[in-house]
Amino acid sequence: MPPLRSLLPLSGLAKHALGAPPNRRAAVPGPAITSGNGSRRYRPLALAAASLLIAFAIWQLLSTFIFNPFLIPPPLEVIRTAIPMLMSGEILADVAISMQRVLVGFISGSLTGIVLGVLLGRIRIMHDLLDPIMELLRYLSPTAMIPIAVIWFGIGEMSKYFLIFWGTFFIVLVNTTAGVWRAPITRQRAAECLGANRLQIFVMVMIPSAVPYIVTGMRVAMASSFMSIIPAEILAADSGIGYLLQKSSLLLQTNRIFVALLTICILGFAVDRLFRFLVDRVLTRYMFYVAMI
Amino acid sequence: MRLAGLHKIYSSGHAPYVALDGVDIVISKGEFFCLLGPSGCGKSTLLNILAGFEPASGGSVTSGDVAVTRAGRERVMFFQDAGSALFPWLTVEENVRFGLRVRKVPRQERDTIVAKYLQMVSLDRHRDKFPSELSGGMRQRLQIARALAVEPEILLMDEPFGALDALTRRRMHAVLLAIWQHTGKTVVFVTHDIGEAILLGDRIGMMSAGPRSTITKVIEIDRPRPRDPTDPQLARLFHEIEALLAPDLDRSEHLDHEPAE
Repeated sequence: MPPLRSLLPLSGLAKHALGAPPNRRAAVPGPAITSGNGSRRYRPLALAAASLLIAFAIWQLLSTFIFNPFLIPPPLEVIRTAIPMLMSGEILADVAISMQRVLVGFISGSLTGIVLGVLLGRIRIMHDLLDPIMELLRYLSPTAMIPIAVIWFGIGEMSKYFLIFWGTFFIVLVNTTAGVWRAPITRQRAAECLGANRLQIFVMVMIPSAVPYIVTGMRVAMASSFMSIIPAEILAADSGIGYLLQKSSLLLQTNRIFVALLTICILGFAVDRLFRFLVDRVLTRYMFYVAMI
Repeated sequence: MRLAGLHKIYSSGHAPYVALDGVDIVISKGEFFCLLGPSGCGKSTLLNILAGFEPASGGSVTSGDVAVTRAGRERVMFFQDAGSALFPWLTVEENVRFGLRVRKVPRQERDTIVAKYLQMVSLDRHRDKFPSELSGGMRQRLQIARALAVEPEILLMDEPFGALDALTRRRMHAVLLAIWQHTGKTVVFVTHDIGEAILLGDRIGMMSAGPRSTITKVIEIDRPRPRDPTDPQLARLFHEIEALLAPDLDRSEHLDHEPAE
């Protein structure tokens, strides 16, 4: 077995899938689930809401009575700052431009990572030749690449696309290779017995078997894209959430900094949920994981 | 199917490991042949060679008059771990259709064949389910249907029902025997369960524990089917085989537990 580090066991998605095998009927809660214990279904949601409300309350109290409200503005103050920023469309414009950068980099990085990862998973010599290089390059986080990206591409859009691409590519690549590699030998042999040729086994068996790994890699890469777009925009941009952070910091506008930070939290969460929703919709049949075994 | 002087040597470790040492068997067409032996005796290795997954190190395997060099649809392997052998992203029906799709069988013919074998294993009501929605026994029935759909001559079965509970296993024996009698396929059935071998096989090839395993004895069972496990003649045979296997079992048990002592 080659030294492949799959992110699969760490992923929340994998755990999610472990507990819930893809089951079309499960998507529609039957009467057996709703009758009698309807309250239990909403318990996680209620607890999540309670958790957030309590955290906000504690934050409000602490920054009103203990901490300097200039350094840690209380949540109500942050919301009061956010409303005009939302109304004027200022935040929306920054969110849009940051999202565009993330999406362009993420999609191009994922596609390249998948194509190359599939080849590395299949062609042994290619893996052996490229793996040492990947082993070294993957330590260069997107943040470490900002200075050179600015020189190569300027502070325009291209440098941000490149940085997000850089971060996404390696994660998706490693996971795709692992997924192809781990397509059960039993399944390949079964296909061989049924008369599939090598190309058919590759396309019709190994790649579908790798889908859960690829998706997990993409989900982790999406999170990492959100981590790297901010420093990129702080250091080299004139728009986006990161730029909003940087600008507010220079003007000592802590309220606005907190608005930007909250925006990042909400945006990241929303995009992850959207990603999961899309995967559930489009790729359900491929997300089998360990549920079968 | 003819195996002559078959050897298998693994040379990956520091010392070469001789897994199979001179296996000779002739399996005739339509026969139900069981390979019985303690775990680790090379039964699965032998089956993999028969299937064409692994090359033999010496000797020959011929099927009909053709030497076996690679896997193909005339010898279909049936795995114990249905979870990884099936295609979990395909429905029951699509799993059965797989072997026909790769050969580009025309659609109409394809649908007829799929329907026929789904019905044979009584899965036609579950055709749109995914393997993860099936019970263990249903998954194994699906494997049978998928294998039969490519119309093989030989079914190679590697402890196929080992992971099922006792009741389901009994039912699967009946299903398999009915299909075998109905289709006249040759079956090579690997097991370490003496009772299973006696209930199913025309002949039982006894394998010695590894390394250097070989077929030590071939026992013929000419009792009519369906066989009754309480048949005194079969019971006698059971004890006879148990006594034959005992020295090997002691040996393999001992080897297994040595590091723990």
